[in-house]
Parts: sequence; structure tokens; C-alpha cells
Amino acid sequence: MTKSPNRWCSPCARAKRCVEPMRPALRFAMFLCLLLALDGALLFDGLSRRMAEYATLARLEVVTRGLGLTDLAVATEARYTRHPAVSDPVVPFMDHPGAIEHFPTGAFWLPPSR
Amino acid sequence: MKSLSVLLVFAAVIFLLASFQMVTQALSDKAKQVLAHTPEITLQKMSAGRQESIPLAYGEQLAGIFGIRRVVPRIWGYYFDEVRLTNYTVMGLEVNEMPEGGRLGATLAKGVMPGPADEAQGRVVVGQSIKKTMDLAGRTTFSLFRPDLSLKPFEISGEFSPDTDILTNDLIVMNVADARDLFGIPAGLVTDLCVYVANPKEIETIAKKISEALPSVRVLTRSQIQKTYQVVFGWRSGFGSICLLAALAAFVILAWDKASGLSPEERREIAILKVLGWETSDILAVRSRESVIVSGLACIVGMTAAYIHVVYFDAALFRPVLMGWSVLRPDLHLLPRLAAGDILLILAFTVIPYLAATVIPAWRSATVPADSALGG
Repeated sequence: MTKSPNRWCSPCARAKRCVEPMRPALRFAMFLCLLLALDGALLFDGLSRRMAEYATLARLEVVTRGLGLTDLAVATEARYTRHPAVSDPVVPFMDHPGAIEHFPTGAFWLPPSR
Repeated sequence: MKSLSVLLVFAAVIFLLASFQMVTQALSDKAKQVLAHTPEITLQKMSAGRQESIPLAYGEQLAGIFGIRRVVPRIWGYYFDEVRLTNYTVMGLEVNEMPEGGRLGATLAKGVMPGPADEAQGRVVVGQSIKKTMDLAGRTTFSLFRPDLSLKPFEISGEFSPDTDILTNDLIVMNVADARDLFGIPAGLVTDLCVYVANPKEIETIAKKISEALPSVRVLTRSQIQKTYQVVFGWRSGFGSICLLAALAAFVILAWDKASGLSPEERREIAILKVLGWETSDILAVRSRESVIVSGLACIVGMTAAYIHVVYFDAALFRPVLMGWSVLRPDLHLLPRLAAGDILLILAFTVIPYLAATVIPAWRSATVPADSALGG
């Protein structure tokens, strides 16, 4: 049986472990691989979530048709962000003359244009 | 180290932009899918620029318009619960008159839909948040105040499924008679009329005929409602503009830093490379590759973080603005669809300006004379 050659370089052989610093390119490649693996996992999870969403979508369609709904129930603080589809753009300013729009959701939602 | 700090800031900017893009795109998508089933035409009476109750007799006036299959009256509105400081959306309608009204029972997590008016007096179906907010502790009854402050009792006959939260979270569904009694709306008046037509291709024509027959009525077609949700979330909103401006400010600072001059360390590095025989074009190529790597990596990190934020944390950073002072907050279950167009949009806003901002400094760095940089 032949003895395996010493695979350590001299500083590492003295320390009995690899003391060579990792090359930046290797570090970068490892980080990139980690990111890609994470993205791959997110992709597979997203696909399974998408399948589950199809079942939910059928329920949402029945509710929309059965109740004649016109809007998403996302923001309930102001009637023009609860039901933007059936509100006028001027509604936020109709409370009294000189009224200003003051609800936080008004910053996120654009007024409907028709 | 400098590249790492640029990468982190850059990734944070992309995270902000991508999160906004994903939230708005997921909401618009959901609205597009779901609101394809809204009533074909909705009629509301307008007076002095405000919506008011519409007479039931208007529905009878539509009988002469050929192509209308059905007109369903509804009473709906908002009930402010002063104890819990919460807005509920109360909807009164005869579900058996609605298309697929008979299948609504299948969408409930528990219980049944109330039947026709006489049998279902005082029985309601509530959304998940209503049940939680009222904290009924096992009871199925609650009361709401009429306008004259007398109490109207209700019994919960069913609960909407959490899956339909994005539509039913704040809903209390009852029959028309109960809603009329609760809001004190006189007989013969309703909130709006849902019009269903026989041929969907005739919606616009019939809407035009209704507008001519009833000039004081606002006629909303299904396509108008869908169009609203395609524009209601966008970069032109106040919050969207802030996100864009923040990104722009970050890039201006970055470009300023890059264009304002080379650090002594960078000059030295370039000089050594030139002494070693590198051409200007080689240095330019290396700098460009470095920019591509930094911006590309920042893009992947930023977009991955944005996706995790939107899908797994329900866009927690945006919820305070998206829902504001709302007390009832649905679980949105957002699932953004990452289309090539959306990714290109993010790239156009972020990576391309960064590459452009680094071209001139890269050229300047490449033309530095080696002897001057080394102090010769």
C-alpha cells in the first residue's frame, strides 16, 4: 500500500489545517449559489402556493357573483378606499367646503379615473 | 468593502421599489381575476354630486330596454361601531336573486346563508374580522344601533371563509328588509340596482340606453370597475412617488460620489495596473464588469428580499400605509406574479441608471497617467 502524498502546503501542514484565506471569487460564488438555491426554493414554494390559489379563486368568484361585489376589502378606513370603483375622485374632498384628504390610505390609492 | 456597502444600499433601494411593484401588481391581478364577475351594470342615483338612494321604480322603467335579463336591488352601506371604532360594510340583498346566489353556502367556513326574507329575519353572515372584533365568546347574537339609537338584534347564521377575506373581511350580509330597518331607509328606496344583461357584448349599448332613460343615474359597467383597479394602484400615487423619489435620490448621491473624483487608493490601484501593462480599455472593461456584478447581485438580493417580504410577511412594511387607520385588516395572501415586464421595469429603474452613472468615472479612472497616480 502506497502512502498518500502530503496534500498540505507548508504553512497548512504546520497548522494541521487549511490556513489559506478563501479567495474572494470563491466567496462570491458561494454567496451566489446560496442565493440561487434560495430563489429556487422560493420558486417551488410559489408554484405550490399558486396551485392552492386556484382553489381559492373559485370561491372568490362565487362570492363576487353571489353578492355582486365591486371592490376589494383592503382598506376600511374611508369609503373611497373601501369602494374606489363606485366612488368619484372628488369624494375625499366632499365632507365640507375646503376639506382636505387626510386618511393614510389616500397616499397609497390613486383616485379612479373615468 | 466599498463595493459591499454600495451593494447593500443598492439592494435596499431595489427592495423598496420591487416590494411596491409586487404589492400593487398582486393586488391589481387579484382584482382583475375576481372583479371579472361583478354585476354587468350598477346603477346609482346622484344628486348634488353625491350618491343617494335610488327609487325601486327606476328598475321598472328599465323594463322597456331589450336585453336586460334581471334587475336586483341592494341596500348597502357603512356601519360605524363606536365601541370598537370600527367600520363594517353592511350588505342587504336577496341572495337567491343573484347569479350563483345558491352556491354562496359553499364559500362559508361555517353555517349557512340566510334564506328568503321571511325565514331569515335577523340572520346574518359575517366576515372573519367581524367575528374576531366583536369577540362574541361563543355567542351567535349581537345588536347594532338603528339611526334612532334603538337596538336591532341579529343572529349569526354563518361565517365567510378566511380564504375570501380579501372580499368579505368586513362584510355583514343580511336580507334587504333587515338592512332597510337597520339604516332606516324608507320603503321604495334602495342603495343601488344591479343590472344583468343577456348578452355580455351588449353591456355598453344597454348602459348607454339606461343613461338616456335615467339621466340622473350614474351607470357603472363591469369594464369601468375593472379599469379602476388597473389604475388605482400605481407609481403616481403619493406613496409610489415617494418610493421612486427615494430611489432617485439614492442614485443621485451614488452618481455624485462616483463622478466627483477618484480616491487616492483607486488612483494607486489603476496606476499599478497600468505599470503592469494594462490598457485603458482593459481597465474600462474590468470597471464595467464590476458595476454589472454589483448591480446584478444587488438586484437579485433586493428582489428576493422583496418577494419574501410580500409573500411571507404579507407586505408588513407597507400595511400601515396600505390599510391606514383601518381596524379590520384582512390577511391579503399576496402572491405576486413575476413577469418579465416587471423585472425589466425594476432593472430599468435601478441597474441601468447605475451602469450609466459608472461609465464616466470608469473612463476617467482608466485615463489616469500611471506616473501621476504613483506620485512620480
